[in-house]
Amino acid sequence: MEEWRYLSFNQYNAFENMAIDEAILRVNQQKEMSPTLRFYGWKSPSVSLGYFQNVRNEVNIEFCHDMGIHIVRRPTGGKAVLHEKDLTYSVVARENNSLFPHGLLGTYRVISECIAAGLAKLGIKADLLKEGRSTGALDLGALCFSIPSQYELLVNGKKICGSAQMRSKGVFLQHGSILMEFDPAQTYSVIAKSDVDITRQKEKLKKQVTSVHETTDIKTDYTSLCQILASSFEEFLGIRLVEGKLTSEEETIKKHLLQHKYMDSRWNMEGKAIEWIFKE
Amino acid sequence: MSFPDDLLYSREHTWVRVDGDLATIGITDYAQEELGEIFSVEVPLIDTYVEHDEPFGTIESSKTVAELISPVSGDVIIVNEELSDDVGIVNSDPYTTGWMIVVAMSDPGELDNLLGPIEYSDYIDAEEGSR
Repeated sequence: MEEWRYLSFNQYNAFENMAIDEAILRVNQQKEMSPTLRFYGWKSPSVSLGYFQNVRNEVNIEFCHDMGIHIVRRPTGGKAVLHEKDLTYSVVARENNSLFPHGLLGTYRVISECIAAGLAKLGIKADLLKEGRSTGALDLGALCFSIPSQYELLVNGKKICGSAQMRSKGVFLQHGSILMEFDPAQTYSVIAKSDVDITRQKEKLKKQVTSVHETTDIKTDYTSLCQILASSFEEFLGIRLVEGKLTSEEETIKKHLLQHKYMDSRWNMEGKAIEWIFKE
Repeated sequence: MSFPDDLLYSREHTWVRVDGDLATIGITDYAQEELGEIFSVEVPLIDTYVEHDEPFGTIESSKTVAELISPVSGDVIIVNEELSDDVGIVNSDPYTTGWMIVVAMSDPGELDNLLGPIEYSDYIDAEEGSR
């Protein structure tokens, strides 16, 4: 039975969260390691952006600053996610791991199936979207949860989990956000321009997005949801999760990434190319 | 899927057209098909030194963000400006108009690590067959 490292739920700030995920990927590129499943939360409200997003065009920076919402750019693609009442997962593994079918979408499908199996234990029937669809509303296009992509999870047609990934040198990092609660007003405000009618957009988002607490009566907190999801990964993939921690090598790279990338406004605000990061 | 005879290919799915010490680099037909619709490409500025087997840029598609791994080392001397107007040419025409950078190679011996079209095609088959 294949063993995966399990990094159990912990809360960090936005910059640490991204530095940890990327550090795991970078060390994996350098040497053969077991895949890693990690669950985490965010110490304070944060918005994470996709690699190529334009912060100034797609985020209300002033609102975020006023509300104390950190802004961090992810190493992965996709659109903006507000992390306030969500559980975030990450999986780092080699692309040729036999548990994942060939093709970039294979990892989305398999990981979504694991999460769907976990949600089912809470009585939530989540369906994998067979084909991606457009938001139908350009004014919401900067938000991850407004655009269901192929193999993402929907409950009654509403998105409950959004995922994004990056690939490099035979290793992939996929992370995603599972909403525990959904606050459409706050979510929209993160991208809203001042002249837009928030009430109308809020109603639109309510029809497109849902959360764990909205779809089950079973009382669930972060710890219990992580336990349920971890066991679903084990059952669905036929693996054994072994509780672990970051290696000293990962800790070193994490600190480096934190200092030179994720806490640097050039990266977060401008997304500047980063070849200087790994060369000291 | 095509792999032109006059190109060399890397296991990271880039191609190289060699002209003396100059290497024109792009991604293969296989790579563009795997990535799906490409939204953005980030390539280095002119005069940047890129290193063999290290990232030289990033590509975002409908499915993922992928780092572009350089098949050779050297200074970037030309960048395909057309990509900023129409990145779709990487999907529609990966071997000609969809090229990305030209590198003045510092060690042409690195080309020995690359594959010919038949070897590359076999490599892809083996990768796909390993699942």
